[in-house]
Amino acid sequence: MIEFHEFVVAILRSGTPLVYAAMAGVIVQRAGIWHLGLEGVMIIGACATIVGIVLTNSFAVAILAAMVICVAMSVLQWFVIERLRANQIIVGLGMTGMGIGGTAFAVEIIFGSLAAISAPFGVPRIGGEFGPYSGLSILVLAMPLAVLAMWILLARTRFGLRLSAAGEHPFAARSVGADPSFMRLVAFVSGGILCALAGAELAAGSLQIFAQNMVAGRGFMGFAAVIFGGGHPVGSALAATFFSLVGVVGIRMQIHFGAVVSHDLLLCLPYLATVLGVWITSRTRGGAKAASRISELREQ
Amino acid sequence: MTGKLDAILRPMAFILLATLLCGIVFQIAGYSAFLMFDSIVDGAFLGRRSLEKSLRWALPLFITAVGVGISFRCGFFNIGAQGQFYIGAICAAFAVESMAGAPPAIVVTLGMMAGMAGGALWAFWPGYLRLRTGADEVITTLMGNFIAGLILVYVTSGPLKDPSGSGQQASTRILPDELRISDAGGVSPTIIAIATAVGMVGWLLVNRTAFGALAGLAGRNPTMLRFQGGKIWQLGLASFLISGALAGLAGSVELFGPSGRIASGSLPAHGFTAILVALVASYAVPATAVAALFFGGLFSAALFLPILAGLPASAIDLFNATVALLITARISLDTWFHRLRRGRRDD
Repeated sequence: MIEFHEFVVAILRSGTPLVYAAMAGVIVQRAGIWHLGLEGVMIIGACATIVGIVLTNSFAVAILAAMVICVAMSVLQWFVIERLRANQIIVGLGMTGMGIGGTAFAVEIIFGSLAAISAPFGVPRIGGEFGPYSGLSILVLAMPLAVLAMWILLARTRFGLRLSAAGEHPFAARSVGADPSFMRLVAFVSGGILCALAGAELAAGSLQIFAQNMVAGRGFMGFAAVIFGGGHPVGSALAATFFSLVGVVGIRMQIHFGAVVSHDLLLCLPYLATVLGVWITSRTRGGAKAASRISELREQ
Repeated sequence: MTGKLDAILRPMAFILLATLLCGIVFQIAGYSAFLMFDSIVDGAFLGRRSLEKSLRWALPLFITAVGVGISFRCGFFNIGAQGQFYIGAICAAFAVESMAGAPPAIVVTLGMMAGMAGGALWAFWPGYLRLRTGADEVITTLMGNFIAGLILVYVTSGPLKDPSGSGQQASTRILPDELRISDAGGVSPTIIAIATAVGMVGWLLVNRTAFGALAGLAGRNPTMLRFQGGKIWQLGLASFLISGALAGLAGSVELFGPSGRIASGSLPAHGFTAILVALVASYAVPATAVAALFFGGLFSAALFLPILAGLPASAIDLFNATVALLITARISLDTWFHRLRRGRRDD
């Protein structure tokens, strides 16, 4: 039983950053843009949180700074895609490069070396008498609420429906007075905040460390979860949890089968699961095909 | 602006803009941006032997970028060049391993072919999934990059491990001298000949064959392609395979040439930079050569940047990312300035 609880804890730990990133992807996806910059904004959030804690010794200040920087980067991405009409996929990759290169640059300037930085403390923990669960951060606790809030926002509010309309049919949205461009700005700003949370949870949720390139594709996985989940908050959150489940199973397998299968190959499992997820989505929904041509809609 | 002039001026304007933006950031960070750009130009292009060093990085970049350009031109975002580059190098290394004792010329030729086959294989499955089921190639090729990176770690610390290697970075055994097509300098007649051949074949393919014409059409207007009787399935898969094969070729050139071995995590930015090169060149092969030299030069300068200007090497990554962010902006430059001058924006 203890082992089962530890298994769940491991999934929650590795899955929570993915879910937050997926929520950021969902809202931007609904507004009609593929958010491939998740990886970059997320690593900026992770870096800003840890650096903020080290420099100011306060978690509140650190997370606030991370949010401000992530929102600023997201707005930059929005500006280039929406105002300069650049290709959203390439801009997303550029944002990812900017996140990875920029955090390396910032860390080297601030600390004088590229070594991993560790913070004295991280995100506040649940604490109390919850056995193995009390070591989890409060962001894990808030994660289901964030998913629920995202679902209510998108499916049950006038604003959310307008946002989805802006993504699905900009022309129709405009005709009822919703400015698609502004809707996308709002989506990117909320995405920035969610990415900051994703980065904070990844870096400061359990490890309290920032290392170069530590996101290692989780942002892209979060994006794949959006596709797998069909752009639905709950579906995407489940997809993200599934990816992290596969990762945890891979790590468990190292313990039991480490002698037979190389652990590097077992580390591939979450990436393989992502490919599988995208494949299944396209088979069942033909969704990827339609979504990838979203840019054509925008030509109107 | 006419189309051709626009195609030259636009990327230059964006590179200039990126330089300006990064210069401001570096200045704020407390470095002399001017000294930095001076040392980049010196270290990349003007200094003694620096052009040769730039060429060493530019040649593999060019080979990969020609392939990336072909798949982008066809409308498929095969951004898995990094993974295809790794798998190509791995397959070439395995081929060498299995042919121990054969005449060097045969080993190198077959090794390069194995590299191309490996790269093509790593582009085949995302291409197949994209064209048969619609699974988006952006995600599958990206995931392919991560998987290939892990396979490289596995191969260099397992089957192909160099037992005498240091513990820091796992790598394969260094190839014996008779199998190398260049010294560590990386600029030899063989490599230049390979790159030239790739450039010429690529140019002919794009500009002088039905494949090139139809692929260009497929990228711009898939519906029109159907009316013209082109088969997107064949064209698309071919473009995936060609781009993969060229990335694999670049990987094996790196293996037989300057590196002489493959190390885990080596050249992590190769694929991304090649994409950038293809975009800056707007997929035209001659322009790809120029762009490859530019970004190869930047990479070469980055190696000396910490020494010359005291700036972290990641400064170049930041610059490349800024170029990537801006390069596809479709707004015509003169209307943009026009709008700014009028101070209003009408959508």
